[in-house]
Amino acid sequence: MYTKTSINQLKEAVADWTKANEAKFKTERKEFVTESGIPIKRVYTPLDLEEKGFDYLKDIGLPGAYPYTRNNSPVGYRGKLWESTAYGGKGTPEESNALWKSQMAAGAAKAYIAYDLPTQLGLDPDNKKAAGEVGRVGISMVSQKDWEVAFDGIDFHKMGVSQVLNAPAIFGLANHLTLAEKRGIDISDITGSQQNDVLKEYMARGNYVFPPAASIRLAGDILQHVGLHMPKYQAITVSGVHQSERGANNVNELALMMLNGMAYLQAGVDRGVDVDIMAPGVMFLPGVDHYVFFEEIAKLRAARRMWAKILKEKFKAKKPESMQYRIYGAHGGMGLHREQYLNNIARTALAAMAGALSGVEWLDTRSYDEQFGIPTTEAQVNTIRVQNVVAYETGVDATVDPLGGSYFVESLTSETEERAWKVMEDIEKLGGVVRCIETGHVQRMIAKDSYDWQKRFESGEIKRVGVNIFQSSEGEAEKPLRVYRSSPAIEKQRVDTVVEVKKKRDNQKVKRCLDELTALAREAPTAKNNMIPAVMEAVKEYATVGEVCDAFRTAWGEFREPNAF
Amino acid sequence: MQERKIRVLLSKIGLDGHDRGVVNIAMALRDAGMEVIYLGRHVFPEEIAQAAIQEDVDVVGISSLADAHMTLIPDLVKTLRKKGSDIPVILGGFIQPEDVPQLKAMGVAEVFGIGSKLPAIVAYIQSLKQTAVTP
Repeated sequence: MYTKTSINQLKEAVADWTKANEAKFKTERKEFVTESGIPIKRVYTPLDLEEKGFDYLKDIGLPGAYPYTRNNSPVGYRGKLWESTAYGGKGTPEESNALWKSQMAAGAAKAYIAYDLPTQLGLDPDNKKAAGEVGRVGISMVSQKDWEVAFDGIDFHKMGVSQVLNAPAIFGLANHLTLAEKRGIDISDITGSQQNDVLKEYMARGNYVFPPAASIRLAGDILQHVGLHMPKYQAITVSGVHQSERGANNVNELALMMLNGMAYLQAGVDRGVDVDIMAPGVMFLPGVDHYVFFEEIAKLRAARRMWAKILKEKFKAKKPESMQYRIYGAHGGMGLHREQYLNNIARTALAAMAGALSGVEWLDTRSYDEQFGIPTTEAQVNTIRVQNVVAYETGVDATVDPLGGSYFVESLTSETEERAWKVMEDIEKLGGVVRCIETGHVQRMIAKDSYDWQKRFESGEIKRVGVNIFQSSEGEAEKPLRVYRSSPAIEKQRVDTVVEVKKKRDNQKVKRCLDELTALAREAPTAKNNMIPAVMEAVKEYATVGEVCDAFRTAWGEFREPNAF
Repeated sequence: MQERKIRVLLSKIGLDGHDRGVVNIAMALRDAGMEVIYLGRHVFPEEIAQAAIQEDVDVVGISSLADAHMTLIPDLVKTLRKKGSDIPVILGGFIQPEDVPQLKAMGVAEVFGIGSKLPAIVAYIQSLKQTAVTP
């Protein structure tokens, strides 16, 4: 980018400047290192880009063009602002039906299903392992009966369904498809998405059921089915925020997200699906926080560049949409605090700004009362308004990739990318990401990041306002906010419902369907034995999530986590 | 005679998968010279009680962040006591402040909510052991 003469002149100028200011440099307060451990220099110049071999067209190019570093769209927010969302859920299908109807009336085009833990772990409400957990952190929706109730009066032509289901994702999709089929809706018209990212469950979130190889097969079935029949549906949301919230530093989060995305696509390719059919349905859910502000931006810009290279070079994708890393930015709760909780509004605004400067397509932010429990309505509205302020009042939407070309940001983007490739290479050398989950290598890697961070935070090296600096005076207690807690009566109601369902259906037919599922699960996966039709058959007969998962457990067993530290 | 190391059993309880805190604590206790047995996720009161007795631990530390503690913790304490064990049980995680007095009344020795510091937890466990060996 620069001529040899201009680089030499700059080198001389930097040398002179350094010499002239040596005494001043000694007055610096400390070494500056990001929370992920990347050292930050005093100042960045074209020399830093030169050192990285920076090539404008090859490395960043123009918005909407390969390698998409600057944005997936040539017009960015000048065309369309990012979509603001906030995650939440209610305990029963009846409550959710009312919620979604009111959201639909208010113009929402998507129903978000945040499931309770038993459903996410493939357990029915009447399983004794589910005691105390039914309907607590999300919706309990365990059979086609519940789907009929939850979506009564809701038109799938007008309302998409976004599900946060991973290990039993196939069950959720089969229910959506079954209900749509009963209503005579063409499968190609169905909209919505499925999280369907179970690898991050082993790495961080903990809601796994089956061993990794079996989980990859299930994810592959969904990718294949959606790829072949459901052009308006997103088959998978590959997450990074969960690894980040678990403690992974930004580089490790990025590397793991890339490896997981590649593992899923490979499962589909192995099943004979064209990568250009699958890849446009892949969306990413990386973390976006305020406390590693520039690193977050560098991470997301690097992610777009890396994914484009992976798709083009490794998977030989041809369509531009296949190479685009679509960002559903997710603000984590770990960066928010109880102490002086109103400070969280500032943190959320900064996280939203980091997302906006990175060009995210969707952004989900947390509320200021996140650390007290399930958010109050007031706080949930506030978090959307915080995003609105960033979107409408700051002018961040006026130009695409405002930080592109910054010596610092470009240098940090390249540094983050280099470090992430190295982590990916190390994991490949150890047998790949699935092997490294089985041995616990990835979990220990994240645990180490988390422990190191905790020690730096507790020592005061990492600062949080109101928590370990500028604290409120003794005796000035945090104000406990009113928290929503689900009613224990829900559990009883849900147990009664599922017991009733199991009594009323044709149990012989259910058993035949479940046996068929076990037999299918025992076969090696091929392009021809996708299990979705068989799961739909079971669902039509009102087989429950626990029963479908038990049919798989019989074939595959359950995952036992390796030593975590 | 060499003094026996403090033995601690740590575990998640029920279906909650959040293990950042409990694994951090496991690493801190190990660095403080204790022996840590960590059972991991998706473990239930009966298994935890059995393991605690079998491993002859000095304290049981449970992590809960998905609001099922008011069902599962009393169950664990009762199961331990029914088996004739008086091993103290401590709880960490996302615990609403109004639950703490009730949990203590049900036999939980101490609750370390979010924001607790590692050295405070280490010191508390060391103090439990010292109290126990004092005649």
